[in-house]
Amino acid sequence: MLSRLVLLSASSLKGSGPIGAGVVQATRCLRTSSQSLAPVPPLPEEGGKVRHGIFPEEFFQLLYPKTGVTGPYMLGTGLLCYLLSKEIYIVNHETIYALTIGGIIVYCVKKFGPGFAEFADKIYEEQLAKAEAAKESSISILAKSIEAEKKEQWRVEGRGLLFDAKRNNVAMLLETNMRERLHMVTNEVKRRLDYQIALQNLHRRMQQEHMINWVEKSVVSSITPQQEKESIAKCIADLKALAKTSQAQAAA
Amino acid sequence: MAGRRAALKAVDWLAFAERVPPNQRSKFNALKTRSDAIAAKLATLPETPAAIDWSYYRSAVAKPGLVDEFEKKFKALKIPEPVDTQATIISAQEADANESAKAYIEASNARIASYEKKLEKFKNMIPFEQMTMEEYYDAFPETKLDKVKNPYWPHKPIADL
Repeated sequence: MLSRLVLLSASSLKGSGPIGAGVVQATRCLRTSSQSLAPVPPLPEEGGKVRHGIFPEEFFQLLYPKTGVTGPYMLGTGLLCYLLSKEIYIVNHETIYALTIGGIIVYCVKKFGPGFAEFADKIYEEQLAKAEAAKESSISILAKSIEAEKKEQWRVEGRGLLFDAKRNNVAMLLETNMRERLHMVTNEVKRRLDYQIALQNLHRRMQQEHMINWVEKSVVSSITPQQEKESIAKCIADLKALAKTSQAQAAA
Repeated sequence: MAGRRAALKAVDWLAFAERVPPNQRSKFNALKTRSDAIAAKLATLPETPAAIDWSYYRSAVAKPGLVDEFEKKFKALKIPEPVDTQATIISAQEADANESAKAYIEASNARIASYEKKLEKFKNMIPFEQMTMEEYYDAFPETKLDKVKNPYWPHKPIADL
């Protein structure tokens, strides 16, 4: 309590700046009264320094110029003797209780204090880490969302390509159709002309065959039996002559 | 005919493929296969059909006026170009797409602005070590305990603990 009082008075006297560590990144809450709109300084990390657990350091610094280092101790001893000798403070049973309990308290704090402080600090660190993690994840999620939105906008920009492709398809189909029509016309005309030529060829061939057949038939029918006998006799005579010549050749 | 050919714009399929979102990829593939099929069909057809050798036919066909008549009619024949029925539809689709794209981009920009604002708030927050509980409730209003609705400790419904 004493230390807090002195601390407050000290800060208001000296108008000190932030005692705590760290650079203030942005505006903290501002004092809202009309007289001063200055930003509130950050809270200090440690409490005020004390000597012997109770007496604030500022007290010793206060008396140092006038009485040196031993001044406050002399003051304390003298005050104690004055209180005891003038019986302003009476020693009774409760003094014993106070001294023993005070001793026990001091012993316990000295022994278990650091352990407990570590435990409390660990809890604090965990809370801090959780809050930090939440903040980091929020920041990263927001940044990723912004990225994603920009990417989607980039995608949307490409919508013209789709319509280019569609128009191309349509143009190609039309062109194909046109060419098919041209080809069909040409092919049809060619087919008709070729048909005419084939028809002519067929006619001529039929005429030829018919004429040949007719000539053959007339020749065969014109052969009389008398001519047939004569031709057969001539053939036999020719064959005999041929046989003779071939025999003569074989002998020679 | 040569003028029709120039109407084909070179579509960069790679760039197109990059811009397609993953959920529309199958549609894009279908479009690509169709376009490729059409282009292949176009490539197989020669541009002009083979010319008819009129002199040969004139010498071969016996009928005197037939070939000349055919030739005259063939040369006079004008084949009508196929009519383009889809152009207006495609333009209408394109206009629609532009409209919706503009609306989407506006909404997207609004979203980006809100994200940026939140990002600013997070970036400009004081570090947690220096915060008091009051400043914490100011920074994250959703954590503030409503002491009017729940006047008794713990100032929130038991189920929310």
